[in-house]
Amino acid sequence: MSVLVRNNVVQSGAGTRPMMFAHGFGCDQNMWRFVAPHFEEDFRVILFDHVGAGRSDLSAYDREKYADLTGYAADIVEICRELDLRDVIFVGHSVSAMIGMLAAIEAPGLFGGMVFVGPSPRYIDDAGYSGGFTEAQIEELLEFLDDNHMGWSAAMGPVIMGNADRPELAEELVNSFCRTDPEIAKQFARVTFMSDNREDLPKLRVPTLVLQCKEDVIAGQQVGEYVHRALPDSRLVILDATGHCPNLSAPKEVVAAIKAFV
Amino acid sequence: MEDLQDLYENAPCGYLSIGHDGRIVRANATLAAWLGYSTEEILARSFIDLLNVPGRIFYETHFAPLLRMQGFFEEVALDLVTKRDQRVAVLASAVEKRDEEGNLLFTRVTLLKAEERRRYERELVNAKAAAEAARNELAELNASLTARVEKEVNERLRIMRGLTDERETARLREQFLAILGHDLRNPLASIKSGLQMLSRDAQSERARSIIHLMTESSDRMAALIDDLLDLARIRLGGGFKVEPRSVDVAPILEQVVGELRTAHPDKAFETRLDLPQPVFCDAPRIGQLASNLLGNAVVHGAADEPIILEAAIHDGWLSISVANKGAPIPEKVRKRLFRPFFRGEVRPSQQGLGLGLYISSEIAKAHGGTLRLTSGETETRFTLRMPVAPEARRFDRSKSQSARPDE
Repeated sequence: MSVLVRNNVVQSGAGTRPMMFAHGFGCDQNMWRFVAPHFEEDFRVILFDHVGAGRSDLSAYDREKYADLTGYAADIVEICRELDLRDVIFVGHSVSAMIGMLAAIEAPGLFGGMVFVGPSPRYIDDAGYSGGFTEAQIEELLEFLDDNHMGWSAAMGPVIMGNADRPELAEELVNSFCRTDPEIAKQFARVTFMSDNREDLPKLRVPTLVLQCKEDVIAGQQVGEYVHRALPDSRLVILDATGHCPNLSAPKEVVAAIKAFV
Repeated sequence: MEDLQDLYENAPCGYLSIGHDGRIVRANATLAAWLGYSTEEILARSFIDLLNVPGRIFYETHFAPLLRMQGFFEEVALDLVTKRDQRVAVLASAVEKRDEEGNLLFTRVTLLKAEERRRYERELVNAKAAAEAARNELAELNASLTARVEKEVNERLRIMRGLTDERETARLREQFLAILGHDLRNPLASIKSGLQMLSRDAQSERARSIIHLMTESSDRMAALIDDLLDLARIRLGGGFKVEPRSVDVAPILEQVVGELRTAHPDKAFETRLDLPQPVFCDAPRIGQLASNLLGNAVVHGAADEPIILEAAIHDGWLSISVANKGAPIPEKVRKRLFRPFFRGEVRPSQQGLGLGLYISSEIAKAHGGTLRLTSGETETRFTLRMPVAPEARRFDRSKSQSARPDE
């Protein structure tokens, strides 16, 4: 099956230099709806869904392949090769920052710049490292996933009766946004929140922009600063936005920071 | 007249409003009471501070994006954490309030207690898991049942086919033995008696010579048919016919040696027989075995060296061995020697069917004994060893009795 179908790859834009956007744990490529269009004039914009999310091919989900982040990184390399991309600007939100980093370490020639939005190389605290969560809290999260199927279902398919303000969103969002197979979501959560990529940070040879929100309970400011320090070539921008999804809550700030970087 | 302020503060549900930076800008008294906080204490916090850790992660990764994308969410299951660190299960619905330019002013959230509903949902989840487990178990049982039925059917089919094959083989065997025993032997017997009658009449030297050659040829042919009959009995089932009784072996061996001396007058035979007691065996078969071994020695042994036949009884075992001088038998030939239709390098005129050693070894086996070969520079020797008494041997009586004479 085609990689492009498997990952629901969507291309747009008038430019030649590729800019690829990767969504994090929780939703799908719609996360970039307020950001990506701003780059269509100057870039070739590539959006995709990770396998298991959005409109990706769920039958391609392989528990062994996606047992850690390298399986997702391999998909990104495959998409780049399939589209014959060079000098890619990779924009990764949340866990996809680390996934993109692994892809760039694996295939160093493909990428020309990285943008990490709310990255975290490790969510669990460790000696001399504050990830923001204790191991017990992450265990609680994973138990929560096991115990709260119903909560999940409520989160996955809230009825959208139409949205008078933005009617163009309603139809497609009902079908995919934030909707995930519970079993896949569970494993993706485990893989995400148990990951530890601190040792990989120094291996990234691509210039990187780190975008950090002021108040982010998922990846706190100290984590963003840690990433910035550990990367050989990076710039850190603290956004005025709060929360973990500035691409939704403060798209203008995000767009401005990325434009300044590229 | 309903007091709207009182309705807000003391409604049977929690109300709160979140500012664009995530902080709580307003909350009602009902919610404050659930949580054990004063209204002022709540206002100092972000909404996600009121959630447990999994709830926070979920809110940030799922519900906040949902709210931003569609302007509202409904019926989201969350756990609030009270001041005393206890959980309150709620269902949350939220809607954004934006100004005319689309800028977010605040988000209104309504919280309904959902302890009972959540308990019920959890039971549903457990019931679903149990149903799933039962379904899997059933599927496994089905699969194993299918496999067992299939195996059983295949086994039955195999047995039925086996029975058919067996019947077919038995029928072929009967036919083959009938052809050998009657259709080939009877005309041969007529030829031989004809030759006998002719040989009594006065004839020319040439005619007598031809009659003699023809008689020898018919004798050889009869011997070949006998060997084929033996092979058919061994290989086509029905058993190898052995009828043992207590006999004196020495006269049998002497008679065989006598026949070979007559047939090969220029060959030297030495016999050393030490057989003080009778042996439980099939006399004609033991004679056949000795004759085969001696015949081989004549054909393959050194021409000017004697052939030695030795027989003795030690510790309840009879041994009969035939030895000749000559070139040793090569290693690779030894392995095939006792197989049917094995033929060594002999002159075409002396060729048999290559069944002699095979039949001899079958005779040894049928007597609970063995036929072994030793071959070196000094001599080549075949030795039969078998028990003297019937009780000492693992002699398959049922097999010998089931053998049917077909001649």
